[in-house]
Amino acid sequence: MGLIQDVLTSFVAIMPVTLAQSLILAFVVLGIMIPFRMLNFPDLTSEGAFPLGGCVCGVLLAAGVSPLTCIVVAFAAGFAAGCCTAFIHLRFRIHTLLAGILMMTMLYSINLRIMGKSNLSVFGTPAVFDWVPFARPGYPASKIVVAGVLALIVFAALYMFFRTEKGTAVRAVGANPDMAEAQGINVWAATIGGVGLASAFSASSGALMVQSQGFADVNMGLGILINGLAALMIGEAVVGKQTVWRQLLAPFAGAIIYYQLVSFCLAAGMPPPDLKLATGLFVLAMLALPSLKRGRGPAPAREAIRE
Amino acid sequence: MLEIRSARKVFYKGQADEKVALDGLSLSLATGEFGIVIGSNGAGKSSMLNAISGALVLDSGKILINGADVTAMPVHKRATRLARVFQDPMRGTAASMTVAENMLLADLRSQKRTLRQGLNAARLASYKERLSILGLGLENRLDTRVDLLSGGQRQSLSLIMAVGGSPDLLLLDEHTAALDPRTAEIVMQATVRAVNALKLTTLMVTHNMQHAVDYGSRVIMLDAGRVLLEVSGEEKARVTVIDLIGHFSVKTDRMLLAS
Repeated sequence: MGLIQDVLTSFVAIMPVTLAQSLILAFVVLGIMIPFRMLNFPDLTSEGAFPLGGCVCGVLLAAGVSPLTCIVVAFAAGFAAGCCTAFIHLRFRIHTLLAGILMMTMLYSINLRIMGKSNLSVFGTPAVFDWVPFARPGYPASKIVVAGVLALIVFAALYMFFRTEKGTAVRAVGANPDMAEAQGINVWAATIGGVGLASAFSASSGALMVQSQGFADVNMGLGILINGLAALMIGEAVVGKQTVWRQLLAPFAGAIIYYQLVSFCLAAGMPPPDLKLATGLFVLAMLALPSLKRGRGPAPAREAIRE
Repeated sequence: MLEIRSARKVFYKGQADEKVALDGLSLSLATGEFGIVIGSNGAGKSSMLNAISGALVLDSGKILINGADVTAMPVHKRATRLARVFQDPMRGTAASMTVAENMLLADLRSQKRTLRQGLNAARLASYKERLSILGLGLENRLDTRVDLLSGGQRQSLSLIMAVGGSPDLLLLDEHTAALDPRTAEIVMQATVRAVNALKLTTLMVTHNMQHAVDYGSRVIMLDAGRVLLEVSGEEKARVTVIDLIGHFSVKTDRMLLAS
């Protein structure tokens, strides 16, 4: 009885911290969802774009630049990185996943170059979270407010965009690129812009994270992709993905639920090194579920694999 | 008006399996004319259609639509002038989007897309009206995802999308070949009605000789990447399936059976 109580107490105690963290990381999940679901472009750039945003933000903060400007610059840097991935895929016909791996590997060096060292402390410099009135600086409440408001703005803006004439065209590129092109849609522009925007969100998340934790690290993106994917899977399982509204809500809902789950597992005594294995198994299970549901028998997918 | 001037395209140039797809093909189709393209497999029908739509870049030659040279234009720029219905119903529509959204995509084919709301009441009403012409009940399923429609419904939707906005040129690439006979007939009738009503300049590829005899104002037969035979006017009115099949360089019973 005492054990369960201990677990619950420590879980509840870190709930607000986890919520703040998950709202910041929700932008990475969004940056994974947009190429994956809206553009049919499975993309790994986030793993490099997240630390890119962090490194850019760290260096600028250390140089005394305003925290909001830092985020804007990180956004732009992420946008450029995503555009490169999309361009590599479109121009050289390299598979999207390979293009993403190339980009994220190159970004590791670029991130090191930007910072000049592997780790940079920006503790004590101003952060966007300081601007929230009535909240003591450094406490999770201000982070929840800032990240939450940003999440709301981004959600509303994207929802409205995907209902416009241009937004519908972008979705068509993901649904059927041949058809989109035949309907006069510039597939290159939509893909480059869309993947760029997604990476820009991932980089902004990195910038927010640096301001939240007070340091930047080139390795801060390690495993962020699989976490994000797990969060997206949970979100889609909970809110669905049949409409634009649900598909856009999924990354945010998923991030919140996923990081609370992780925090619960840690509170329950799971050794942190096992976390990546557990997350990987979870994503595998979510991806395998549809084919398991189809059951045995001569499933068409299996026939296709054999051929 | 469509004009193809000595179009040439060679695949795998200089290699053992070099294939001349278009061998100086020239063709001209007057405004409002309905041309039917026939020919055996590998005659260059698909290559010609792809060259017109921009999916295939020519080695040499020119393509003009209404007098404007479009040879160097990418597919999405040419799309402002021409519309195309593919053989495969899956290719012409966006499966994960709704019927109304697909109509919207086609509706804006020749316009600049803005940041205004896409689907508004006026547009939905006009899509409803345009779809009701088919008599397939699609007008009541505007919010249905296209992947829930049957192949015939999808192809009918593709057709309505293509003829909307009266394109300068309509390309039909064996668009009834993948459908069952009854649905094929419905789609074909809808095609003929739309082409006649809107006086569209149309190029239809078909393997169905009966269609070649029954429809269109001109039959164009391709062979080895060039025009082998053109039948129009009085002659077109008198031509029979047997006549057409007689011209196929490789005479097979399959053509007869298919008709």
